[in-house]
Formats: sequence, C-alpha cells, structure tokens
Amino acid sequence: MHPINWLIVGGYLLYVVVDGVRRSKGTDRIEGYFLANRSLPWWVVGLSVMATQLSAVTLIGTTGQGATDGMRFVQFYFGLPLAMVILGVTLVPFLHGSKVFTAYEYLERRFDAKTRSLTSFLFLLSRGMSAGTILAAPGVVFSAVFGVDLVWSVALIGVPTVLYTMVGGVQAVAWVDVKQMVLIVVALVAVVVVLLVQLPVDPDDALRIAGATGRLDVFDFSFDVNQTYTFWSGLIGGTFLMLSYFGTDQSQVQRYLTARSVDEARTSLLMSAYWKIPLQALVLLVGVLVFVYYLFQPSPLLFNPAHEARVRTADATAYESLEAQYAEAFRSRNAAARAVADARETGDALAVVAAADAFRATEAEARGVRGEALALAERVTGEPSQDVNYVIPRFVLHELPIGLAGIFIAAVMAAAMSSIAAELNSLSTATVIDFYRRWFRPSESDSHYLTVSKVATAVWGVFACVVAVYAATLGSLIEVVNRFGSFFYGSILGVFLLAMLPGSRAPGAFVGLLVGMGAVATVTFGAPSVSFLWHNVVGAVTVVAVGVILSRALRSTTAPLS
Amino acid sequence: MRVREPPHSTTGKPQSARNRFRRTLLRVLVVQAVALLVLWLLQVRYG
Repeated sequence: MHPINWLIVGGYLLYVVVDGVRRSKGTDRIEGYFLANRSLPWWVVGLSVMATQLSAVTLIGTTGQGATDGMRFVQFYFGLPLAMVILGVTLVPFLHGSKVFTAYEYLERRFDAKTRSLTSFLFLLSRGMSAGTILAAPGVVFSAVFGVDLVWSVALIGVPTVLYTMVGGVQAVAWVDVKQMVLIVVALVAVVVVLLVQLPVDPDDALRIAGATGRLDVFDFSFDVNQTYTFWSGLIGGTFLMLSYFGTDQSQVQRYLTARSVDEARTSLLMSAYWKIPLQALVLLVGVLVFVYYLFQPSPLLFNPAHEARVRTADATAYESLEAQYAEAFRSRNAAARAVADARETGDALAVVAAADAFRATEAEARGVRGEALALAERVTGEPSQDVNYVIPRFVLHELPIGLAGIFIAAVMAAAMSSIAAELNSLSTATVIDFYRRWFRPSESDSHYLTVSKVATAVWGVFACVVAVYAATLGSLIEVVNRFGSFFYGSILGVFLLAMLPGSRAPGAFVGLLVGMGAVATVTFGAPSVSFLWHNVVGAVTVVAVGVILSRALRSTTAPLS
Repeated sequence: MRVREPPHSTTGKPQSARNRFRRTLLRVLVVQAVALLVLWLLQVRYG
C-alpha cells in the first residue's frame, strides 16, 4: 500500500485512541462508565447503534456478496424498521424506565435470579466468541492482502479498540462510533462516485449489464422456509431476529440505555429504522458496480493473494491453464457486455434481449472457470476459499486513487472497531453487574466496581484477540458456538415478551426458555428443516406459548392455597 | 391479552412525546415505502 494510505490509516488509529481516552471524563463511577450517566443525545445513540451493527464483515463481505450474488441480501433487513417500531412501544420503555444496567437485570426483577443468570450467561458465551470472530474477519483479510502475520493484523485493530474501550467506557465507545459512522458513509459514497467515473459505460448501461445477470433482482416472493433470503423470511423471520438483537442483546440494549429519556431512546432506534435499508442497499450496490467494473478491467482468477501464491507454487500447470481459459472467457464477456450497452442505443427490443442472453452465456462461462479455480485453491490450501471477501480489498488497493484507498481501509477498521468496542463494553457490563456484583461481591464501593469493570474489559479484549488469532484453526468450533447462539436468540426474546405479560411467572419463563432452545435445536438438526431466519420465530413463539400455559397451570394450582 | 405497564416513564411530557414519536414513526414508514419502491423500480427496469 502507498505510504500516504498508511499515513491516513495511522492517523485514524491515533485519532480514535486519543479521542476515546479524551471522552473518559465523567466516567469515575460505574453509572458513567457503563451508561454515560444516561446523558447521551438521541443522535449519538442512534449513530452508535448503527455503527455497532455495521461490522467489517459488512464492508468487506457484503460488498463482495453484492459483486458475486447481487442485491437480494437486502431482504434480510426488511423486518428491521418494523422491529424498531415494535421495540419503541414495548421493550424500550420497560428497560429504560427500570433504570437497569443490563437487560437481564430486568428479568430478575420480573422473574427470578436464575432466569437472569441463565440469559446473561448465554449472552456472555455467544458474544464472547463472536467478538473474536468479528475481529478475525478483517484480521484474516488484512493479513492476506498486506502479507503480514495474522497476529499483527489482529493487534492493529484489537489493541487500540481495547485501549479506548477500557479507559473511556461506553461514553468513549458511543462518541467514537459517531466519527466512525461518518467515516464509513463518506468512504462508501466516495467509492460509488469513483466507480461511476471510472466505468467505461454510463450508469444506466452499467445497471442494465448488472441487471442482465440478475444482480439487481431484489425481491423474491416465494414462500420457502428453506430459502434464507426471501421477502417473507426477511419480513417475518427478520423482524423476530431484529427484535431479539435490538431488544435483548446487551451490546445493543446498552446503547439506548445511555439515552437521556425513553423518548430519546426510541428516537435513536428509529434512526436505524430510517437508514438501515438504504445503507445496506448502498453497500450492495458498491459490490454490484465493482462486478461491472471488472467486466471491463482484467481481474485475477483468485482475489485472495495468499491462496493465489500457494496454488501457483503447488500446481502451476493447472493454474496457468485455468488462467488462459479465464483470459479467453474475459474477452468474450467483455465484448458481450459492450454489446448489451450498444443494443440499448439501437432501440431494437429483440437485439436487447439477444445481447442480454449472449452476455449471460459468457458470464456463466467465466463463472465456471472461476469455480474450477476456487475448487483447486480449496484442494491445495485445505481451507474454504472465501474469495468473496477479497474482491473489495483488491479493488480498493489496486483501483482506487491514493488517499481514498487509505480512507476505505480506515473505514473497514472503523467498522470492525465500533462493533468490537460495543461487544467488549457490554461483555464487561454483564460480567460485573450480572455475576460479580450479583453473586460474589454485592456491597463493594463504586471505585472497586469501576476497577473490576476496566479489568473485565481488558480480559475480554485479550480473549477476543486470542480467539481471532486462532479463528482459522478453530473454524468448526466457532461454527458450533454460532449455531448454539442461534438456539437461544429467539428464545431469550420469548422470555422478554413473557415479562411484559402480566400473568406470567418465573417457573414458566425458565422452563419456557429451555423448551424454546430445545425446539430450535430440533428444527436445526432434525425435521422439519427450516432456514436460520425462522429459528427466532420458532424460539420466541415456543417460549411464550410454554410460558403462558405453565404460568396459568401454576396459577390454577396455587390459587386455592393463596 | 393485557400487557404490563412500563415501570415508570422518563419522558416528562407524555402527550408531546407521543406526538413526536408518531410523527417520527410516520416518517419512518414513508422512508421505507420510498426505499422499497426504488428497489422495486430497479428490479423492474433493469432486472
């Protein structure tokens, strides 16, 4: 990377740490450290919520997904605005009004200590591991792209994040999130502008070419529970997922607990509701335009430079043969793409259809050669190729002007750091409030808890870095943990929904939670098989149903005694 | 099905807060409708 780009990245990292530490003022008590004394304005909370949800995977993986698969992934977010509105009138007033530190603390007030501890423990388990994987994703990509050891690329992102989160608490996290969010949006818009300027065809033709491959097909109205991204899975399954995430996950709940009032907390969530779908569409559109860009500019057969080097060393003959085939396929596809643009100018509808058909055939041919190269890379390296994650980094480093590449790399770091910081802060809060203070040292001084909180943040930070470094070798284990995480996301939402129903009781909530997790495990491993977005619906509905029935049964058996 | 009342509100002025929330809600719905319409037009025109 050019020294000016490194200078921009270095300057950004330095600024983030200095700004984060500067924001530590007023965090000498745990209310300040964990909740910013409930003093943040709605727009800071709103941007912090959005920054937390937008990770490096979004900027690298989702843009790559736009390039290879198109825009249909945006359906995943169709339930988000509805979920925000529902939360605004249900859980937010309960949680903010209860003056709690963690969402799970509220469950003890409503039910009992074991329901609180179980839900908090499940949060620590899943989020502890996910903090590592969130850090691993950009770490692995940077390591391959820049040719540095994984330890260094993880440390480059992890150490500054742990530092400002540990010193400044939630206040530093939220204010740094604001700047990071601005940087991310500026970088995305700048890339779109550069792409539109550099493309050899006008934007209308670019979209027509992308559309010919189906990359602009957003809506899929089929009702198939095995399909992950459909309009219905996004709207129904997505609503339950977002309700679970924003309503019961401490990393999100803690954001809006810092707001000045219930009203500001609600408004901050609605800010996400405003912008999430347009922002995700923009992210995917960047990928789609990068795909069009590489129709006219030669691209490598494999975007992952580390895999390319290993394949070239291990089986040079096979790889060079594939490269020759790909070069030929590129030439045919390039000519076909230009024909699509030219056909529009003729105004002949039949010519337009014929040109689109010819283009699709050449695209399928190029895709076939790339598929063979990816299979070869997997055989040689013994790793899943994940080549989609290297499309955007390659484009950024080789095609963007000097300076803008540095800004985009800094934006990817910002996206990673904002997500990890929120996770570390919430992990520390749940550890100290739900376990250390609740079970071990309930009557210590505020300064004691503050010190323990900072130590907990540092420990979780080190844990995340270690998991990130070993993420490649722990691949299958992390997948198991993530699957396990999906068992209880909807189920925990079910417990919170039960908490809002007047007749529900503690045993109903606890047993309902266990049965809900069992129901999700059944549809995950057994029959009927359903896509993961529906797991949250299954979990939440089961918990509420079991909880209500059990609570009523308990009421009827205990009523004569009382 | 009855739903529990929130523990206590910190909104201060419930009526004006409710009105502000309704206005924001309406805007959110309008923005979503426009976003979905744009995506739909993108699919119809170019897909």
